[in-house]
Amino acid sequence: MVVVGAGPAGAAAALEAAKAGVKVLMIERGRGAGSKQVYGGKIYSYYLQKVLGDLKDAPVERWVRKERLSLVDGSNRCTTIEYEGRDSGAFTAYLTKFTAWLVDRAVSAGAVFADEVRVDSILRNREGTSGVEAGGERVEADVVIDAEGVNRLLLERLGLAERTSTRSVALGVKETIRIGENEVEERFGLDHGEGLSWILMGGFTGGLPGGAFVYTNKDTVSLGLVLYLDSAVRSIDEPVHSMVEGLRTHELLWRYWADGDVVEYSAKLTPESGYRYVPSKLATDGLMVVGDAGGLLLNLGYTFRGVDYAVYSGHLAGRAAAASRDRRRPSEEVLRELYEEPLRRSRPFRDLERLRGVERVMEAGDRYFSTYPALAAAAMDGIFNLEEATPSVYESLRSAMRKSDVSMLRAMLDALGTVRAI
Amino acid sequence: MSEGARAQRMKVEDLLQRTTWDVDPRPHITVDADKCARCPTKPCVLLCPAGCYTEVEGSVVFSYEGCLECGTCRVICPMGAVTWNYPVSGRGVQYRTS
Repeated sequence: MVVVGAGPAGAAAALEAAKAGVKVLMIERGRGAGSKQVYGGKIYSYYLQKVLGDLKDAPVERWVRKERLSLVDGSNRCTTIEYEGRDSGAFTAYLTKFTAWLVDRAVSAGAVFADEVRVDSILRNREGTSGVEAGGERVEADVVIDAEGVNRLLLERLGLAERTSTRSVALGVKETIRIGENEVEERFGLDHGEGLSWILMGGFTGGLPGGAFVYTNKDTVSLGLVLYLDSAVRSIDEPVHSMVEGLRTHELLWRYWADGDVVEYSAKLTPESGYRYVPSKLATDGLMVVGDAGGLLLNLGYTFRGVDYAVYSGHLAGRAAAASRDRRRPSEEVLRELYEEPLRRSRPFRDLERLRGVERVMEAGDRYFSTYPALAAAAMDGIFNLEEATPSVYESLRSAMRKSDVSMLRAMLDALGTVRAI
Repeated sequence: MSEGARAQRMKVEDLLQRTTWDVDPRPHITVDADKCARCPTKPCVLLCPAGCYTEVEGSVVFSYEGCLECGTCRVICPMGAVTWNYPVSGRGVQYRTS
């Protein structure tokens, strides 16, 4: 079996198949494991524990204990919901290190890891998939797992995926800033080893649909922006890197990483609304598609699940490869039954189909990114910034709505639609 | 925490200094100059997070050296002028903390 791309999905597939005794070759274009990996900053642990067992030796930065969701309006008034749970189902990590850890496990299980090799095509003939062409060599395989990531150069060349359009992906840009372990804990009010996950909407993307995120690592902070390309390509009026600059120096935020040192700047495309990016076939004869290449990323605007879904899909594909090991070049029918159907029946996939929250949010346009943050701020202002009168919560909300350009009915419809969708 | 820290502004070139590359002498992305010249909107100039596309006297100048390999230009180019691939032999951006 050949795995194209040693990211979280590819490494999980390699690990599972190698454990079952399948001969596995992982081919990775980067130098060393993990060197091309970028993501937001937080990984949900449920599927990882299910598939990988306990995570004691995983390169966890911090277990997330504090969740924040903020709406920021045009005058930087910020309405925040903060939740501090007792348990944690997610951790922060550098995906570079986490992936290297997963690749190591696959290698320990017997998989072979070939780095610095770019796969240029997946070879297919009348009998199905026969292997890959990489670095000028042809590598034969009974099964190929496509874990090439969001930029589906190979699948597009095969005609198995449509050309990526601005409607189906978002751009994420991120900075890692080192401030020191004590500073992370003091500035974000965290106990030792505890982490914060913070999603911010409005104010950071120049009025464009998108959002900002902040995650705490051991001694660094990851902060960044996500922009939906379809609207950005039409209406952007300042460079993306200056938006990131604006985030770092933002008057509400700069204190958190003051005097810190930017140690890395990175960027990645992500499937915007996973379901729309899922190719029509996730399995065909001798070929299975996993992770971002399969569009397996859930984005609800406040929740992003990509790495855990990648690992889970990789695990299922690795298991399917193991189950079909006695067949030379398993047919589409076999791999559909062993991989695609179980995946489509799984909870992650059904959630992708069911929750089209972001699509709904996009339909409402900039109401979510500018009108509602302003409305929330005006309502809060009415309650907390008292002068002569003391309005009730309801009165304050009514008065904020009268001043904004959105009707009570529209707001209620949006709220209902969103709640139902997400 | 000083005001100085807040005011700390970085140009994209300075920002990119913090990331590590091993640049391949052969470009992994090429831009068709004729198609590019006819583009009315040039979204790459603002949307490339690495600032690889700059506008000089009305035309786009491209340099691949600081590429973060995100794939944005491949998707947004309205003229289909971008031929995009990953660098070979482990070259290109080397992420450590992303």
